[in-house]
Amino acid sequence: MGPFLEYTVIGLTVGSFYALVALGYTIVYGIIRLINFAQGDLSMVGAFLGWTLLVSFGFQRLPLYLALIAAFVVPMLGTAVVNLGILQFAYKPLLKKSMLAILITALGMSLFLQNSAELIWGPAIQAYPPNLLPANGLFMGPVHLTYVQIALVFVSLLLMGGLVAFIQRTTVGTAMRALAVDHDAARLMGIDVDAIIRLAFVLGAMLAAASGVMLGLYYVQIQFTMGFLLGLRAFTAAVLGGIGNIPGAMAGGMLIGLLEAYTTGYLSGKWEDVLVFGVLITVLIVKPTGLFGERVAERM
Amino acid sequence: MIARLADHRAGRAFIASRDQLERIPFFIRVIVILAIVGGSVLLNGDDYVTSVAVSVATYAMLGLGLNIVVGYAGLLDLGYAAFFAIGAYTSAMLMTIAHWNFFATLPLAVLFTGTAGAILGYPTLRLRSDYLAIVTLGFGEMTRITFNNWDYAGGPNGILDIPWPNFFGYQLSTQGDFFVVGLVLLAIAMIFAQNLDHSRLGRGWVAIKEDEFAAESVGVPSLRLKLFAYVMGGMWGGLAGAFFATRIGAIDPTSFTFQLSVLVLIVIVLGGTGSLPGVLLGALVVVGLPEVLRQFADQRLLIFAVLLIGVMLLRPQGLWPRVRRKPKPFYGLQEEEAGDVAARILGEHQVQMEERDRRHAAAGHQVPQPGEALLEVEGLVQQFGGLRAVDNVSFNVQRGEIFSLIGPNGGGKTTVFNCITGVQKPKRGRIRFDGRSVVGLRPHVIVSRGIGRTFQGIRLFKNMAVFENVMVGLYPRHRTMTWQAMLHTPGERTDELRTLQESRRWLGFVGLESLAGRLATELSYADQRRVEIARALAAHPHLVLFDEPAAGMNPTEKLELVGIIRKIRDLGITVLLIEHDMSLVMRVSDRIGVLDHGVLIALGKPAEVQQNPTVIEAYLGRDEDDVIVKAQGA
Repeated sequence: MGPFLEYTVIGLTVGSFYALVALGYTIVYGIIRLINFAQGDLSMVGAFLGWTLLVSFGFQRLPLYLALIAAFVVPMLGTAVVNLGILQFAYKPLLKKSMLAILITALGMSLFLQNSAELIWGPAIQAYPPNLLPANGLFMGPVHLTYVQIALVFVSLLLMGGLVAFIQRTTVGTAMRALAVDHDAARLMGIDVDAIIRLAFVLGAMLAAASGVMLGLYYVQIQFTMGFLLGLRAFTAAVLGGIGNIPGAMAGGMLIGLLEAYTTGYLSGKWEDVLVFGVLITVLIVKPTGLFGERVAERM
Repeated sequence: MIARLADHRAGRAFIASRDQLERIPFFIRVIVILAIVGGSVLLNGDDYVTSVAVSVATYAMLGLGLNIVVGYAGLLDLGYAAFFAIGAYTSAMLMTIAHWNFFATLPLAVLFTGTAGAILGYPTLRLRSDYLAIVTLGFGEMTRITFNNWDYAGGPNGILDIPWPNFFGYQLSTQGDFFVVGLVLLAIAMIFAQNLDHSRLGRGWVAIKEDEFAAESVGVPSLRLKLFAYVMGGMWGGLAGAFFATRIGAIDPTSFTFQLSVLVLIVIVLGGTGSLPGVLLGALVVVGLPEVLRQFADQRLLIFAVLLIGVMLLRPQGLWPRVRRKPKPFYGLQEEEAGDVAARILGEHQVQMEERDRRHAAAGHQVPQPGEALLEVEGLVQQFGGLRAVDNVSFNVQRGEIFSLIGPNGGGKTTVFNCITGVQKPKRGRIRFDGRSVVGLRPHVIVSRGIGRTFQGIRLFKNMAVFENVMVGLYPRHRTMTWQAMLHTPGERTDELRTLQESRRWLGFVGLESLAGRLATELSYADQRRVEIARALAAHPHLVLFDEPAAGMNPTEKLELVGIIRKIRDLGITVLLIEHDMSLVMRVSDRIGVLDHGVLIALGKPAEVQQNPTVIEAYLGRDEDDVIVKAQGA
C-alpha cells in the first residue's frame, strides 16, 4: 500500500504539470483548430526565464515569497509575449489558408524555440536553486508528502480553477466559448475575433510557463530539449480528455501523470511511453472523441 | 502590339509543346528525367555528392509513400517513421540472422509494413484528422520503443554488419551502386503513385477529402479507401526502410524517431502536398539544405527552422504545388449522335436492371415487379434526445412510381431519408429494399444495393469538374482491381473510358453536357442540382431519393425538372421525392405521404391528400383558406 500511495502522489504532481500544458493545447485548439506544437517548448522558455531570474539575477536571495512570485509572474508574462509574437508572425498569415502549412510552421516554431534557447542558455543542463524550497513535509501514514509537492499541486489547481472561472463566468470567457463553436457567427455578434485569439495564446503561454517553472522547482534540472517530452505528454493528455475540452485536459493530464508513475513504479521506465500511447489509442478506439469530448454533430 | 502578338505566339507555342510533352507517357518522362539526373550525379563521381544524392532518393521514396496518405487521402500521419523502421528491421534481421539476399527480403519487408499499415489504420479510421495526428505519433513512438526494448533485435544497439546487396552475382558496394538502385526504386514508386492518382482511387480520395459524407453517400467506400492509403503508404515506407538498412549497414532505434516522421512530412508539405515533382524538390531541400548549411555548424537547425517557417509563410501551397489544369472533358472519346444518347442510356440501363434482377433472383431473393413494393418502411422510429423526429412511420414505395414525402418543416422527412440511406441508424423499425433489410448498412453499401440520393443543401465536390463529379458517382460500378489501377493496365484504361462515356451520357440526360468541363461551383444553383441528379443516377440505381430538388429554382427550371423526373421514371427508376413546391409535387407524384411532427398523417393519391382535412390543418392550422388547392391552380 505504501508505494502505491507514493506513486499516486508523484503521479498527481507530475500530472498537474501536464494538465497545465494540456490546457494550453486545448484552448488554442478550441479556438483555431491548430495543434500548437510549440506548446511544450513554451514551457521550456518559461522554465529558463524563471531560472535566469532566480539564478542569474540572484532573485533567490530575496525573501522566499517575493522570489517565488517574481519567478512565476515574470516568465508567465515573458512567455505570453513570445507566444503573441509567434501568433502574429507565423500563424496569423496562414490562418485562413492551409491547415497543413500552419502545422508545419508550428513544428518549425518548436524547432526554432529549442535552438534559440540552446543559443541563449547553452546546451548544458542548468539547475534551479536546490535549497530554495524546504525539503521537509508531512508524513501521512507511510506516505511522505513534501511541502513542495503540496504547493505545486495547489498552485496548479488554483490556476486551473481560475481559468475555468474565467471561461465560464466572464463575458470574455463566453466570447471564447462562442468562438470555439463558430467564428463567423461570433464575428457577426460583434466579438473581436482577433483579440480573442490573442487572448487564447496569452493564456496558453502563461499556463505553459507556470508549469515550466514548477517543473524546474520540482526536478531542479532543466535543459533546452525538455519541452519535447513535456509537450508530447501534454498533447496526449489533451486528446485523451477530448481536445478542446477544458475539464478533459485537466483530467487527461492527471491520468497520464498517474499512468506514468505507476508504470515506472511497478514495471519499468522502459515501457512508460508504450503504455501511455497504448491507453490513449485504446480510449480513442472505444470513444473516438476522447474521455470528455462531446460528440461532434455530423453535417447533413 | 507586335510584341504582344509575339508573346501570344510564344505562349501558344509553349502550350502546344506542353501538350505534346503530355502525350509522352508519364513513365517515359520519369525514366528520362531520373536518367539525366542520375547520369550527371554519377559522372560527377564525387562520393560525397553521390551519398547525399542517395539520401535524397531515400527521402523522396519516403515522401512518395507519405504523400499517398497525406496528399491523396488527406490523412495526417505523424508516425510515418514506424513503417521505415519496420521495413528496415525486417530486411536487416532476415539478412543478418537468416542470411537472406537483400532483394529476397523486400517482399517480406513490404508485406510486414503493409500489414502494420492495416493494423494502424483499421481502428483509427473513424477518428477526425486531429486525433489521427496523435494516434499516428503514438504508433511511431511505440514502434521505436519496442525495437529499443527488444533484445533479439539488438535493443538500443540495433543491428550491425548488415551485408551489402548481391544482385545476381554482382556485389553492390559503392555509393554509385546504391544510387542506381535508389533511382530504380524511386522511378517505380513515382510511376505507381501517378497511376493511382489518375485512377478511380485518386478520384475517390479527392472526393473523400472534399466531402467524406457526400462521397460515402454516392457510393465511395471511404473507410476502405483510407485504409488502402495507409497500407499503400506503409508498403512504400517499408521499401525505403529496407533500402536504408542495407545502404547504411547498421541500424538502431535512434534512426527512426519522431523527428524523422516530421522531416518526411516537411518534405511533402514544403514541396507541395499531392505533387510528385514537389516531393522530389522537397526531398532535395530537406536533405540538401542542412548539407549546404554545414559551415554554420551550431546554428544549422536554427537557420533551417527559420527558412522553413519563411517558405511556409511565402508559399503555403508549397514550392512546386500540385497543378490542377483545366480538365479536358471527355478527352479521347468518340462523338455520339445527340439522339443516340437517350436511347443508349435506356438500353444500358435496362441491361443493368435486368442483370440486377437476375442476380437478385439467383441469390434467392424476391424481385419486386412494377407495382409491387420496392421499398418498405415499417414502424420507423428515430429519436434525438427527447425529440421524436420520426414516430412509427410506415409506408411502401412501389416499383416504378414517383412517391413524394411532403409536410411542414421539421416534419421528419429528411430524417426518413437519412435512415433509408444509412446515414443514421433508426432507433426502431424495419426498412426493406428489394426484399432485403438495409438497416445498419453503411451508406456506400446501400448505394451499391441500388439506392441513389441527392442532398437538400447541394453537396457537390467543389474543386472537381462537373464530369468528374458524375464519374465519382460511377465508383460502385468499376470492375477493375487496385493493382490494375496501379499498373494502368489496358483493362483499367477501357474501364476508365467507359466511365467517361457514361458520365457524358448522364450529363446529356440532364442537359448539361456543354458545361461538363466547368468546376462544379461555377454553375448556377439549378444546374448544380442537375449535376447532383446525374451523379446519383450514374450508379444505375433502382430507387433515387431527391431531397428538395426544386429549392432555389425559377419556374422555367422547375418545369425542366419535372421533365427530368418523368424521364427518370420512364427509365424504370423509382423516385422518392421530398419537396415543398406543391404544384410540382401534385403534378409529378403518383402517391404522396404527409409527415407532420414525425407522424405520417396521410397517404394516398394527390387528389385524396389535397382534400384530407388533417393535412390542410397541419399546413395551415384550423379555419384557414385552402392554400394547397390554390397552389395547385397556380
